[in-house]
Amino acid sequence: MPAVLVLFAVGVLAVLPLGRLVTAALVHDGVFDATLLIQRLARGATQRAILNTLDTSFFGALLALAIGAPFAFLIALTDMPWRRMQGFLLLLPLMIAPQVTALAWMHLLGPSSALLGALGMAPPPGTANPLLGRGGIIALFGVQHAPIVFITLRAGLALVPRDYVEAARSAGSGPLAVVWRIILPLLRPYLIAAVALAFVSGVGNFGIPALLGMPQNYLTLATLIYQQLASNGPAVLPQVAVLSLLIGVIALVGVGVQVAALRGGGFAMGRGMPVRFGLGRWRWPLAMGGLAVIGFMLFLPLVALVATSLVPAYGVPLSLSTLTGDNYVEVLVRQASTARAFFNSGYLSLLAAALLAVLAVPMALGLARLRPGLRQVTNGALELPYALPGIVLAIACILLFLRPLPLLGSLYATPWIILVAYLMRFAALALKPVDVALAQIPPNLLEAAAASGAGPLRRLVTIAAPLVAPASAAGALLVFMSAFNELTVSALLWSSRNETLGVILFSLEEAGLSTQAAAIAVVTVGVVVVLLLVLDRLGRRLPAGTLPWR
Amino acid sequence: MRTLIAAGLLLATAISPVVAQEGKLVLYTSQPNTDAQATADAFMAKYPGIAVEWVRDGTPKIMAKFRAELEAGAPQADVLLIADAVTMEGLKAEGLLLNFPEAKAEGIDPSLIDEDGAYFATKLITTGIVYNSAATAIPAGWADLVKPEYKDQLAMPSPLTSGAALIHAVTLTGNLAEGWDYYSALAANGAQASGGNGDVLTAVSGGEKLYGMIVDYLPIREAAKGAPVKFVFPSEGVSAVTEPVAILASAQNTDNAKLFVDFLLSQEGQQLASDMGYVPARADIALPAGYPARADIKVLGYDAAAALANETANKEQFSEIFGQ
Repeated sequence: MPAVLVLFAVGVLAVLPLGRLVTAALVHDGVFDATLLIQRLARGATQRAILNTLDTSFFGALLALAIGAPFAFLIALTDMPWRRMQGFLLLLPLMIAPQVTALAWMHLLGPSSALLGALGMAPPPGTANPLLGRGGIIALFGVQHAPIVFITLRAGLALVPRDYVEAARSAGSGPLAVVWRIILPLLRPYLIAAVALAFVSGVGNFGIPALLGMPQNYLTLATLIYQQLASNGPAVLPQVAVLSLLIGVIALVGVGVQVAALRGGGFAMGRGMPVRFGLGRWRWPLAMGGLAVIGFMLFLPLVALVATSLVPAYGVPLSLSTLTGDNYVEVLVRQASTARAFFNSGYLSLLAAALLAVLAVPMALGLARLRPGLRQVTNGALELPYALPGIVLAIACILLFLRPLPLLGSLYATPWIILVAYLMRFAALALKPVDVALAQIPPNLLEAAAASGAGPLRRLVTIAAPLVAPASAAGALLVFMSAFNELTVSALLWSSRNETLGVILFSLEEAGLSTQAAAIAVVTVGVVVVLLLVLDRLGRRLPAGTLPWR
Repeated sequence: MRTLIAAGLLLATAISPVVAQEGKLVLYTSQPNTDAQATADAFMAKYPGIAVEWVRDGTPKIMAKFRAELEAGAPQADVLLIADAVTMEGLKAEGLLLNFPEAKAEGIDPSLIDEDGAYFATKLITTGIVYNSAATAIPAGWADLVKPEYKDQLAMPSPLTSGAALIHAVTLTGNLAEGWDYYSALAANGAQASGGNGDVLTAVSGGEKLYGMIVDYLPIREAAKGAPVKFVFPSEGVSAVTEPVAILASAQNTDNAKLFVDFLLSQEGQQLASDMGYVPARADIALPAGYPARADIKVLGYDAAAALANETANKEQFSEIFGQ
């Protein structure tokens, strides 16, 4: 019975939207027909967008590796001071919305940068913002996705068997030789997986190429879809369905590489105490260096963002006489749409988080009951809407819900289409911590209960649920944060009165109201930081591996 | 007795106002967020029973959203307040607008009003040139922008994103002797055409570009707040859109929509437009600070019917020239 429920849930959450997309792109009048796909592929704009997507995502992933890998090694393998704090800070870029990251960096490096101006280092007027275009997108993909590399590599490093390392050390190898000859080869699957994951995230990223590429007509597939749909309306749905299928295929190749790399992962030896190298007199210089990099990556742009949010008009230098809180008053109090966006993003994220938290426990139990092969397929299907770019899911949802449905009516132009998309997209995020926690409940506990006559529902409520409750709460918080900051899904699904924070920020920036956009961005970062601290406290009571930074 | 009650009811309906002054009103607009909010606030202050809900986006995008909702069978908007009359003309031809010939439009030049009362001009928004105060060369007219000293320094909105930018392109290419060759020369001089007017403002006030083609009110208003930008009315003349307002045939709140249209066209509503920094449509309202006298603004004309008929061709021509 639970197994049937799980299959039903996966069908609704994953198979239905993606199947609809494929048919919209490839089936016309009931027959398979690839002409639209071929026509679309033949266009220069499509080819340029494909090339730009591959190019920025690939080099962005390499940059993310260059930033994330040293931190993973230092934090996982050494006695560097302040490791835990650095690990926590390094995860922040992942939790900050990409459009906020882009905005912050643009304010940091442009000719009107308040910070660079104060140092006399601002580029002269008439210099294009160095971040606009290809280079900037790659740079910020690197920053935004370095945490993904960091998490993946650290997970791999935690599994490196201590025995190998100790054997090498006692045979006289120095620490660097051990890293090079023992650890790196063992880590190779994780390195490939990390780069593949960062690549997939780049392919799906909308906020960064939207703010850095669109002003220069440098389009990736995600921004091309947005532009086509935004200026032509539903008439181009079949066309953009084809484009989103292309994104989906590129992302799937990335996911495939990642899965293949980790297949049969895990090492011959069991995990013991993790390896720790002493850094000796390098301890403090490396810690300081790490903090400096994090400071540059995270704090300088955020300070620039705050500076922009405090001046009356974009381009005005920040000084005591120009300082104003007016932008905050405008977006938080005066403008109905921004105040509403805080409310909308809040309640939609909360609903999605709560629903998924409740659903995750029976779903994880049901998954555990499936045959291993079926279980793997089901799990994979469920992860697709999260792994695939948000814009693909948004198009699928428009296709599913634009025309009125029996009983439901049309969901388009209601907030519920956004909620349904959030449920589809973040189900995998909610399920994972619960899955981890469930695996750690001794099976004999449930067997004992069953033997004493407790039915499945009773076992669920009295044993499994209480034990995995903290994990499901953690999953819910992750869902909440992701949905609260989200732009890609809602950019195409919002309607009158249902605007989300991501949409409002993007719209303010497009209307030339950069200072107000900055004020919204600062507030959302504040909310996320508070939630992360809550999650971190909660993390102390969770099994290891539930939260990515613990 | 029964007739008495009926008569009483009849009397009650007769003396109650013709239009309801409560309920809600959904406005789709291309005005910047701050102006949309100020307009809604002023209207709600006058009619406290009506709650205005507004949605803001560039004209092509807001139209795409409206059409998607139409497709879904759930159009949300009661009133459109968008950049240009050409889009309105197209909607009118499709029968999507409600005629409102009894609108209180006295004092507005009849040439600015649709003859059937399907849409009404609310202001004049001209497109001219903005420059960053750090610029050394000061442009006087459109012809300057193709000179070498402006190379790679011009930002302009794309007609694919902005309704005003499409009319601007049609007007300039129709009035300048060079026609579309002028746009080719701009492209050859490294002009960047993308996004809407807001993006141009960001680029020029942030100093990333020194010059821009832009609607008048954005730089004039931001300059008053201290932004390092100045606006020029080019010597050849400016293009203008009228930011028309129209009631949709599919409106749920028609009576409130009529009140809203009358409000925008009234002396009060026009003064509000002027206070927000726009050139009001009514000649009896003074222009805001930062503008020359009304008579000194030379507005170039364009053929609206041709613009509507050639909309797609014009967009394609533009895309071709700027390689989009």
